[in-house]
Amino acid sequence: MKMIIDVLTVILPFFYLVTVIAYGYAFIPKKPAAKKFKTPLLIATIVVHLLYIILRTIYFVHPPIISVFEILSLLAFSIAASYRIIEIRTGIKNTGFLILLLSLIFQTISSLFIQDLYEVNPILRNNLLGIHVLSALIGYSAFTISAVYGLMYLLQYHNLKTNTLGIFFDNLPNLERLEHLTHNAITVGFLLLTIAIIIGVAWLPHAFEEYSFLDPKLLGTLLVWVMYGVGLFMIKRGKRTGKQIMKLAISGFLVSIFSLTIINLYFSSFHNFF
Amino acid sequence: MLYLLGINHRTADLATREKLWLSDEEIRTLLPAFHRQFFEECFIVSTCNRTELYGVPLSKHSFASDTELFDAVERQMIAVKNAGEEVSSEHFYRLKDMHAAKHLMKVATGLDSMVLGDVQILNQLRQHYDLAAELKTSGAILNKLLQTAFHAGKRTKSETEISKGAVSVSYAAVDLAAKIFFDLGEKTALLIGAGETGELTARHLVSRGIGKLLITNRTLEKAETLAAELRAAAIPFNRFNEHLHNVDMVISSVNSTGFVLSKAELDAVFDNRKRSPLLIVDIGVPRNIDPEVNSIENVFLHDMDTLSRIVQQSLRRRHECIPEVNEIILDELTEFHRWHKSHAVAPILDEVRAVYESIRSEELIQHIHKFRPDDKELVEHVTKRIIHRLMQLPASELRNGIDDTPEQKEMKLHMVRKLFGLNGESHSKEKE
Repeated sequence: MKMIIDVLTVILPFFYLVTVIAYGYAFIPKKPAAKKFKTPLLIATIVVHLLYIILRTIYFVHPPIISVFEILSLLAFSIAASYRIIEIRTGIKNTGFLILLLSLIFQTISSLFIQDLYEVNPILRNNLLGIHVLSALIGYSAFTISAVYGLMYLLQYHNLKTNTLGIFFDNLPNLERLEHLTHNAITVGFLLLTIAIIIGVAWLPHAFEEYSFLDPKLLGTLLVWVMYGVGLFMIKRGKRTGKQIMKLAISGFLVSIFSLTIINLYFSSFHNFF
Repeated sequence: MLYLLGINHRTADLATREKLWLSDEEIRTLLPAFHRQFFEECFIVSTCNRTELYGVPLSKHSFASDTELFDAVERQMIAVKNAGEEVSSEHFYRLKDMHAAKHLMKVATGLDSMVLGDVQILNQLRQHYDLAAELKTSGAILNKLLQTAFHAGKRTKSETEISKGAVSVSYAAVDLAAKIFFDLGEKTALLIGAGETGELTARHLVSRGIGKLLITNRTLEKAETLAAELRAAAIPFNRFNEHLHNVDMVISSVNSTGFVLSKAELDAVFDNRKRSPLLIVDIGVPRNIDPEVNSIENVFLHDMDTLSRIVQQSLRRRHECIPEVNEIILDELTEFHRWHKSHAVAPILDEVRAVYESIRSEELIQHIHKFRPDDKELVEHVTKRIIHRLMQLPASELRNGIDDTPEQKEMKLHMVRKLFGLNGESHSKEKE
């Protein structure tokens, strides 16, 4: 089993690479063959990735949520799977190139640096941790997707304002659809992050002696939550539309990434477990 | 053998094409007449851009050459339409066999359309094919040919971009709206000026399901007339500003020396719009809308230059798709060619099968009593299977000889006839 896990660690980025290339070919030169194969390729990648997660969980006797690189792999999977759900629900199949590019980047980093963690802190075997991490991860995936849609919106907005015709003008969905997708993704992300924070706040003091509300990781997450919360409140009040929502989505994503990676790597925190 | 006689936008101007345009009623009269006189199978398609006749000639006809047959059909077409003065031979094209089949593929895929990629012709082909089928003038060859053409057209539409993108200014304006709004059915458009291009754009918007259309014009009666036709609402020209906070799209095409809408006027109403997107299409020359309005957030101003660029880009993209469409045509033609070759040998294979079958029946009658009653069914089955397997090799050899020269093909058929003593063989012996 270890050998299969090692092989999958190496080939998973290539699965994402081939899928991204197929989506790219379907997006830019609009090759019919790429259009035909991109979705089956994505499904195959998601299935292989799921298998990888299951095998790691069985072999190392813990879900891959302990190190930042395990989490990046889960994030890559979560983004790809969420994107596939969006494809099914909205019928928009030409935005995968930009979204799956993030999965490719996350999985590549994960595959390069992921370690075999046999020893796991017993605290991390708690069931609440699973829900905490899962809701946070899907929430961050939703924020990632909202940021990509936000970026697409700004690109299309710019094209329409400046009369710039081209690949992006032709292929990107309309502004209202992009705004709708971004808003939905932010809402889902915010709700899931709220759940993750509630569980975290309730469970962490019992699990960690050195627990502190001033922990940089916690403050980073709280900042993300406040940003999106205020943004959603303003949208609800009708005070923010279009471009402003997109700017919120992109800046929120950047802060999320900062909170998820930089703080984990460079700040000392009780929240680091590896 | 497949013949095509036609006239289209490349060979004749509109006035000439009009002379040869055939209504459904005229086709109902003409097609059976051609069927009786010249063709075993025939089919006519007649639109504003082309009138084409496809036919499989009668196996026994009195014409000494193809040219004579083409001449006779052409004369009759001209005579029926009484178009002798306007239409002459130089307006027609004459194609045969795979050239004719290829032409039909080009028509069905929009390669031969006046506007490249316009695949409306596919529906027209279907309607005319239905007519030929109803009149029973189409047969195995034309049925297969047209099904192949429909398939090529369908593939072209789904696999290539040749029919995508706006190719007129009025369509380009509607395409722009589709880049901003998700559901035009929930949107309101305001047409300022009931000029020709504005009216066309409004018509396209209505056909794309715009939720509400307001029309204003300096002459209110003109706005009211168009509004009645398009089920829209007419509003006085001097009060259209009062509706700006409710509209999502403005199309302006009035003759005006100054701007009919300034940035200050739009700024004044924009706060009431909750800053939702507003598309303004200025198709007036000189321009009707102050270009400064584009600096307002969520206002998208486009003029004739943008629309023209969209049209040019669409046309360029359509041209880039031609090689892809040609590949589809080649695929489909190869398939048709394969079918046609196998179709040509079908009668002789039927004859060979009949010879085997008669031998099988005779032998069964003679020997079936030697088997137990329970085995009779099995014997039937086994003997039929033997015939089926015996037929496989010659059938495959004859059908697959696509690249055979006509001489090689004829030689193979001759051999088969000779070996099995078929009627064709005795017939040719009689001729000798």
